[in-house]
Amino acid sequence: MTVEITLIVNGEMHHLAVSPTETLVQVLRDRLDLTGTHRDCAMGICGACTVQLNGEPVSSCLLLAVQADGEQITTIENLEKGGSLSSVQEAFLEHGAVQCGYCTPGFVMTAEALLRDKTSPGRDEIVEALKGNLCRCSGYVKILDAVESAAAKRD
Amino acid sequence: MTECRYTRAESVEQVIESLVDADGKAHIIAGGVALGVLLNERLFDPAWLIDISRIAALRSVERTAEGGIRIGALMTHSQLQRSKVVAEAAPLIIEMCREIACDRIKNRGTIGGNLCIADPNGDPPVALLALNATVTAAGPDGKRDIPIREFFIDLYETALAKDEFLRDISIAPLPASAGFAYEKFAARKAMDYSSTISAAVQVSLEPGTGAIADIGIGLSGVGVKPVWPAAAENLLRGTKPDKRVFSRMRDILFESLEPIGDNLNSEDYKRHVACVIVERAIIRACCPSQTTGAPS
Repeated sequence: MTVEITLIVNGEMHHLAVSPTETLVQVLRDRLDLTGTHRDCAMGICGACTVQLNGEPVSSCLLLAVQADGEQITTIENLEKGGSLSSVQEAFLEHGAVQCGYCTPGFVMTAEALLRDKTSPGRDEIVEALKGNLCRCSGYVKILDAVESAAAKRD
Repeated sequence: MTECRYTRAESVEQVIESLVDADGKAHIIAGGVALGVLLNERLFDPAWLIDISRIAALRSVERTAEGGIRIGALMTHSQLQRSKVVAEAAPLIIEMCREIACDRIKNRGTIGGNLCIADPNGDPPVALLALNATVTAAGPDGKRDIPIREFFIDLYETALAKDEFLRDISIAPLPASAGFAYEKFAARKAMDYSSTISAAVQVSLEPGTGAIADIGIGLSGVGVKPVWPAAAENLLRGTKPDKRVFSRMRDILFESLEPIGDNLNSEDYKRHVACVIVERAIIRACCPSQTTGAPS
């Protein structure tokens, strides 16, 4: 059985016929060519597949596309505007917070939601907000520095 | 994979109709967190999914006539953690929510879905066992109340019949002089899913002596299902727990718990950890400076 759905991804409407067990990460990557969202653990633990559903960070590997019908999805591709990166993305580059880059979109999407919702989060709050994103390369320090500095710039 | 049928239910009645039609062959999906993992791991090959996630009536928290609360099955753990009503009426639930995974998971995972997957290591059952909550199931014959302490039958198995679904969870009013605490043992500070052990305690204290008038305890990670250590509760009632009481409690727990040893923690070590964290939770719950866990 296929189900007709409409996904609003980064402000664009997509009409799709999906299988009920197709996940959002599959649709984003394999049908819509939005490969900035990464597949990794497939268990919702690592955060590499993080997107925003109506602004809230979710694991796209655990979200059936049928359940996202009619909802607003935001992916990492949405952040760059006319060649300019977001302040979080710039901060990641400035602070050397990207090594292999596999975890980066997930971290950035989570951090963007944090900085949108909280003014001046302290280091502890940033650690807490990012606790669901795993990085195997970096040791996390520069990622936290980047988010802290982006937060400071927003004030 | 099997061809999967999909029903997006618009009402409780439609859920029940679909369940009756399906005769055990359908699965309900709410937040899709637990089922999503099973799907990805190829451990779950559904023939029919009944999506209840859009039924607004199930996503609510209200005060009951008695002054307790009724939590709709579709409340996500993020919504519970932010709820002022839950903070007032069942602050133990707020403290428990802080120990669950991370925001990403809590933004989707529902309390109803969590109870139905009956994960032996999960957090929500632990708090609800300590609170002696009541699960309300809805089916073709109407509603049925199931005490949470009778809800978990076996590994991933609950007391729900195949034509019923979990509709809401009720919690009695917070007792006077209530204290509570949630403790979680895990190797990681967050996102540990393997060998965790969780304990919840809610107490009401005698105003004069500070002895335990009543106590509720819940445990997970120490068996095939979340555990209600009734014998330990009975021991503790009426006492002001000290080393001797805790030592006797430890004997009871050591004898009654049947944890599953794994590559990280042996059976006996899990028994030991359970005793330690229950003791810590009781001490904290009885401490007069325990905060009420208001939403941040």
